[in-house]
Amino acid sequence: MSISTVMIGMVLLPLVLSIVMAALPAKSSKVVFEGMNLASLLVILVCAIILAVPVVNGASMGVSSLTGASGTLPDAATAAGMVAQVGVISPGGWLRVDPLSLVFVCLIAVIGLLVGIYSVGYVRHDLEDGKIDASKVKTFYAFYQLFIFTMLLAATTNNIIMMWVAIEATTLGTVFLVGIYGSKLALEAAWKYVIICATGVAFGLYGVLLVYSNAAQILGDAHAAAFWTSVLPVASQLDPTLMAVAFVFTLIGFGTKAGLFPMHTWLPDAHAEAPSPVSALLSGVLLKCAVLVIVRFYIVASIAVGFRFVSLVCIILGGLSIVVGAFFIFAQRDFKRKLAYSSSENVGVIVLCLGFGGIGILAALIHCVAHAFVKALMFCLSGNLLMKYHTRDLDKISGVIEAAPVTGVLMFLGLLALSGFPPFAMFWSEIFTVFAGLGAGQYVVVALVVIALTVVIAAFALTINSAVFKHKPEGMKTKELGPVVLVPEIILLCVVLWLGVCTPPAVTNTLRQAGTDVQLLISGANGVQGVQDSDSVQSVEIPVVYDQDGIATTPAAGVTQ
Amino acid sequence: MTLLTAINALAALLILTSISVVSTSSVRSAAIRYAIQSVVLVIAFVVLGFAHEARELFIWAGTATLTKVIGVPALLLFMLKKVGQAEAEGTGKGIKMGSLSLPGNIPVGGLVAISACEVALCLVVVNGVELPVAQGVKPALALSLAHFFIGVTCIVSQNNILKQILGFCLMENGSHLTLALLAPGAPEMVEIGVTTDAIFAMVIMALLAYRIYKTQHTLDARDLTELKG
Repeated sequence: MSISTVMIGMVLLPLVLSIVMAALPAKSSKVVFEGMNLASLLVILVCAIILAVPVVNGASMGVSSLTGASGTLPDAATAAGMVAQVGVISPGGWLRVDPLSLVFVCLIAVIGLLVGIYSVGYVRHDLEDGKIDASKVKTFYAFYQLFIFTMLLAATTNNIIMMWVAIEATTLGTVFLVGIYGSKLALEAAWKYVIICATGVAFGLYGVLLVYSNAAQILGDAHAAAFWTSVLPVASQLDPTLMAVAFVFTLIGFGTKAGLFPMHTWLPDAHAEAPSPVSALLSGVLLKCAVLVIVRFYIVASIAVGFRFVSLVCIILGGLSIVVGAFFIFAQRDFKRKLAYSSSENVGVIVLCLGFGGIGILAALIHCVAHAFVKALMFCLSGNLLMKYHTRDLDKISGVIEAAPVTGVLMFLGLLALSGFPPFAMFWSEIFTVFAGLGAGQYVVVALVVIALTVVIAAFALTINSAVFKHKPEGMKTKELGPVVLVPEIILLCVVLWLGVCTPPAVTNTLRQAGTDVQLLISGANGVQGVQDSDSVQSVEIPVVYDQDGIATTPAAGVTQ
Repeated sequence: MTLLTAINALAALLILTSISVVSTSSVRSAAIRYAIQSVVLVIAFVVLGFAHEARELFIWAGTATLTKVIGVPALLLFMLKKVGQAEAEGTGKGIKMGSLSLPGNIPVGGLVAISACEVALCLVVVNGVELPVAQGVKPALALSLAHFFIGVTCIVSQNNILKQILGFCLMENGSHLTLALLAPGAPEMVEIGVTTDAIFAMVIMALLAYRIYKTQHTLDARDLTELKG
């Protein structure tokens, strides 16, 4: 079996399983749906690991051959040609996994499986509580698989128009999961989710079409112009004005899906009303898939327009998302809505990092990974609270550590991780964000962001004080939830700690390769040496160093090792 | 009349039909007008197919006939039958549906004025676009963009959920014409993907609207404001 067959199989398997589950009678045992769901997720994880080996090895070889002993950066076309060749590509070029998309495929595979295991306990509890019936169990698992398929498609597609189709499909695949409880609020959240995201993402289509059309004109091949790897080598020849407009459209479009301010309004409603495992996937992984598509167009626009414009747009939208999100986090008393605003704030951090450039690009990728695991953990824990306290209202939740000690400890550590405390992974990505901002000369922005992050720390510290500690409500017995719920949460916390304390070399290498690819492309076009846009030098000067193998890296990557 | 002039004329006809959809007071009438608009869109695809000698556009014209001319209006009319015409248009007893004839607080005249401004603005913006594929069809490109924004205006200005769905359909028609104008030779798979997405979106919205109606006895978006975003 070839490696591209593994990739195609990995993407199509959840779609097939989703159709099979939908075809099964609703009266089928829940164990059948649970088993099919977990088996599929396990196979996807194995496929992701199989894909990772050649992608990381191939990327290392490509970069080292280009940078070589001279240590000079390649020009845009050379870098683009090299990056376009790296990775596993399907026949016809429709699907492709490179180091950048590998990061997101692995997130989907790992978090998808852990949340899938957690779902078993959560859905059974909802079934016993009468919140859902047997037919909803079938709906949940069938749409869970469809959700995984759409995210895998978004992460692996090499076709820029299919990127839009995949992101739109993530909305359509999840809307019934958001509204699965059928309550008035759940249906309202589902309606807002579908109407806001479908409208917002439609803006993205215009951005994609502008890029496609301009590329088709330059390439003279309408079919080739639809592929990102074909657009990349000619990105420097694209019309700068058109690409500036296209980038704004794509940022608005896919930024809506990512939860960027001011297009974030669907996010707290959908996250709060969806079942907690769905919230965990929405916030942990889906937002990152939208970020991946933004990064793809960020690279094209940086090459075509120059980094200065792209940086400005990213800094404005990212900065606003952080500042506004921070104050909403502080004000919210609904735990899941608090976490949802935190997602908007953290996507803001990622986009801000992209705006800073340099080590900010690596910081953005590290933040993507760290936030994905932390937020998946926190939304799963919000499910624990719902099962234990039957409310999301923080005024009614207290003494978790007394009522359910393991959940209490996990919540305490998870909130510390989400606040960006050391030694958790988000501490490093936020520190690199500050370094990247200072390196880019954005002192005022960095100051504002640090103040906003302090507000976030205060908000979560108050939550720890009131919800985790204090005394449990009178009459509530001390009883922990089952191991099916707790084990995946413990694993998620261990991963967050592991990433912060001693990042596994495989993860470091993948992140470093992905970050280096983006850096090389942007710096090649804007020119650290031989700059085309002299004003952008300060923004794109990347502290790239080369190790003994000639592999481009950054001090930040070194720190994470 | 050259083929490109015909495309520009068809795009102008699309704008007129979309204003007609937005301004009608009846969902049934709006669905039928949408079907007529989709016929215009299909003709535009065929003409573009001849202009660019693009086989893909003929395939797309076929799928658009099935989905947009027949599928979407049929689904909306089926929804109306299930919900009941009177209820859907806000005249049913005890059921709040949201006004239709005067959407939101914006009178029909206001909507037409907004649409005209959107058309003017898009004409100005698209005039600066220098793409070989857009030469000769700049008016159509501007009108397709304006069509998209008229759809957005319909979504934000209407209280009735079914009319919001129609607004989404108008948006889709605008973006699909843009796609045909700017990417006439795009792989069939892409066009099928975009169309399928749009149809699934529409079906899912209609199903959701029906569930909202069944459980909440309302199709008025103003009754869905407990969550504050």
